[in-house]
Amino acid sequence: MARGSENRGRLLLIILVITSLFLITLDLRGVSVIGGLKTGTQSALSPIQNVGSIVLSPVRNFFSDIIHLGRTRSEMEALREENGKLLTQLRERRSIDAQLEQLRGALDLAGKAEFKVVNARVISQGATTSFTQTITIDAGSDNGIRPNMTVINSYGLIGVVKTVYPSSALISLTSDPSFRIGVRVAGSQQIGILSGQGTRKGVLQLLDNQSTIKVGDILVARGSVNNRPFVPGVPVGEVTSVDNAAGAVTQTADVRFFANFSAISVVSVVLKGPDVDPRDALIPAKPVPTPVPTVTVFVTPSQSPSPNSAGSN
Amino acid sequence: MSTRKISLSALLFLLVYVVQEALVTQLHIAGGGFSLFLIFALLWAALSTPDIGALTGFVAGFLIDLSQSTSGAVGQWTFVLILVGFGISYLGLGYENVRMNPFTITLLVTSSVVVARVMYVLLSLLLGEKVGSFISIITSLLIGALWSAAIVPILMPLVARANDVIDDSRHRL
Repeated sequence: MARGSENRGRLLLIILVITSLFLITLDLRGVSVIGGLKTGTQSALSPIQNVGSIVLSPVRNFFSDIIHLGRTRSEMEALREENGKLLTQLRERRSIDAQLEQLRGALDLAGKAEFKVVNARVISQGATTSFTQTITIDAGSDNGIRPNMTVINSYGLIGVVKTVYPSSALISLTSDPSFRIGVRVAGSQQIGILSGQGTRKGVLQLLDNQSTIKVGDILVARGSVNNRPFVPGVPVGEVTSVDNAAGAVTQTADVRFFANFSAISVVSVVLKGPDVDPRDALIPAKPVPTPVPTVTVFVTPSQSPSPNSAGSN
Repeated sequence: MSTRKISLSALLFLLVYVVQEALVTQLHIAGGGFSLFLIFALLWAALSTPDIGALTGFVAGFLIDLSQSTSGAVGQWTFVLILVGFGISYLGLGYENVRMNPFTITLLVTSSVVVARVMYVLLSLLLGEKVGSFISIITSLLIGALWSAAIVPILMPLVARANDVIDDSRHRL
């Protein structure tokens, strides 16, 4: 009896494993039923994610505050004095302000480059079940978004549209391990391939073995044919260290992306690129150090009072 | 298994799946956070027989495969979770001191989360997908394990209770 049950269990396990392998095969062969299932799931979840995004907005900021506790401690101390209602209002206001700030920056960048963009809110981030770096936005094919469109924010390149659903879209971030982009070093015009590494740091490989780069060099997107997937001139990142290995054919370098992927709330999808390559016009201006006034004090020693005059007083 | 058990279990799994996709993914949690649904599914499997564990893995894996944040081939997580679901329930079945001890259940589920994610990475590599640098994978696995170890004790009473109600049995947790 027990043996029969054990055999049935093994049979079930084998059937399930074969089914899963069958699913993998179907998906890799591009069978549309599987893709349709995924699209259907996303379409069904998208409205719930939108509601969740609104409901969780204050809580999301709370988690963010915990991560940056040292930086926001003084703000938190000040807010503690406020009453509960005002605290809630303030948190909501901060969230909206941050989104507006990001939106204004993205629009400034898009306006300077003459991009035609559609703005969208980030409604979810890639789950831990996947080792990929993705976000989902609340705009999709209904808003004119198509696969392989460039996604930017106020700092520069965020990623590229990977999958589009009617009311949402999945964005592959520049930090994604599978992400590759042709970049140009601003100023020197050298070209290379930048690869994501799963963190905020990317690796640049120059294509020409005669080229050299240095720390502080700014990288911009080189652009693609018909501006898809990449529009030209969008700032990508800054070289933080250069690998000068003796045996290497070409130079490689570590690059820090301009965009902070953990704090994205609003992005812009470029629907139409510029007619003319903006070249280096979109590169953020380097911060100018604030001059510190130097005060020079001249001291002339006065004659020390004589004991006699002190005594007379 | 009766129709009542199947429908109640399916409803519960869908509910947790929606919570994961609509709420948990919205939180900016340190280190990439955790998958509530994955932990829930493995906890459920740990409290079940190997047959149910494998079926649980199949359903949970298929739902994760349908998630928009999963970029691998559909069936990848299904394959991984069938094996891990079967394995975790098989491990707990013969040892009552494992199944009835919250500490060992936590250890079992946490290590299963890590094993499942390692298997997923290996399968991704076999299928020719990019999985990122070694350091980022190790970091993600470690942080995922820590989060799982923190979440399992919180989730365990609820899952055990739901399992009892649906299964009409008693787990002395």
